[in-house]
Amino acid sequence: MELNGDGLIDILSGSYSRHDGDMAGLFQVLWGQKDGSFAAPEALKGTDGEPLIILTEDSEEALVDKICTRPIAVDLDGDGKLDIVSGNFGGTFAFFKGEGNGKFAPKSTWIESDTRKISVEHHSDPFLVDWDKDGDFDLLSGSAEGGAFLFVNEGTKTAPKFGVRTTLIAAPKQAAEEVIGDAHITGPQSSTRIWADDVNGDGKPDLLLGDSVSLVFPAKGVSDQEALAKIKEFGEKFSKAYESMGNSEEPPSEEAMKKMQAEIEVLTAEKAKFVTEESTGYVWLFLQK
Amino acid sequence: MLMNWLLVVLGAAAMPQAPEFAPPVRMEAEGKIVKVEAPGYAAPAWFDVDKDGQKDLIVGQFNGGKMMVYKNTGNGKLAKGEWLMAAGKVAEVPGVW
Repeated sequence: MELNGDGLIDILSGSYSRHDGDMAGLFQVLWGQKDGSFAAPEALKGTDGEPLIILTEDSEEALVDKICTRPIAVDLDGDGKLDIVSGNFGGTFAFFKGEGNGKFAPKSTWIESDTRKISVEHHSDPFLVDWDKDGDFDLLSGSAEGGAFLFVNEGTKTAPKFGVRTTLIAAPKQAAEEVIGDAHITGPQSSTRIWADDVNGDGKPDLLLGDSVSLVFPAKGVSDQEALAKIKEFGEKFSKAYESMGNSEEPPSEEAMKKMQAEIEVLTAEKAKFVTEESTGYVWLFLQK
Repeated sequence: MLMNWLLVVLGAAAMPQAPEFAPPVRMEAEGKIVKVEAPGYAAPAWFDVDKDGQKDLIVGQFNGGKMMVYKNTGNGKLAKGEWLMAAGKVAEVPGVW
């Protein structure tokens, strides 16, 4: 996106934490350079000169709302200046009013529907686009549980008002048991990140969904059945090792923790002889019919 | 019964039609499925990052907060990915998920 009016493309990202002081998410910006490259990331600041941070209640529960995920800069209120809409770990959406030329008001407000914050199931991931082609921005989002969601703007270009959440792509159902291989992966899994655009040029917006997936494959020479049996055995032994620390409300002793860690290392090494595991993420294209 | 039918017809007319999508496919570049490094968390963008008039695929990831750029070579094809660079080195957004 072009954030500060200099005609150069900039990259804006959320981030999970600042490392000094209270935990909070900082907006990281890579300013575009005249040669087409980008500057190193730096924290985006508000008009008060301080790093922009989502404004929340001063409580421990509100901490997750302060951790920004994806920000997107669009002129949401139609005043000719880019604003920022950001997701957060909690699943709600924060709004920073733009002051022009890459400057934003330091205090955010929440995007609401009839005085209630609109939300998804954790890790909101806003993308604003005129999905229904009525001239204003609608809000799309992925979520921690997966899927794609739409909040239609029932207001106007200068006074947005978002409606209830509707599902565009349902979140996947969790498999009851471990599944071997990747043949069962036929659509996005959890932790979806969304982008909408007319990818195939047919005039209709399509969806790109990033995800996160954990895969298990049998090791060489091991059958699927043997691998599944070993995974089950690992699970049982893991639970037993965990339970050996006791069910007390008190934290386990250092000795108990070390014993459990050693047992888990042995179990994990044993498991690796039968299965290989891969954690990755794909980009799925949904072409609109 | 007639009333029920009327409600169904009127309801269908009032409700915006839900979009229909073709079955999803994984994006590919140079014949290989696009995937991110462990532990995952792919975050795509479709944007003309090199200003050549064609939108490219940029995929952010958890590991290192890095972004892979797959340039659009036309006809629905994407080139092999290259890490997005910033200040002369691979760009890493700190603390990203």
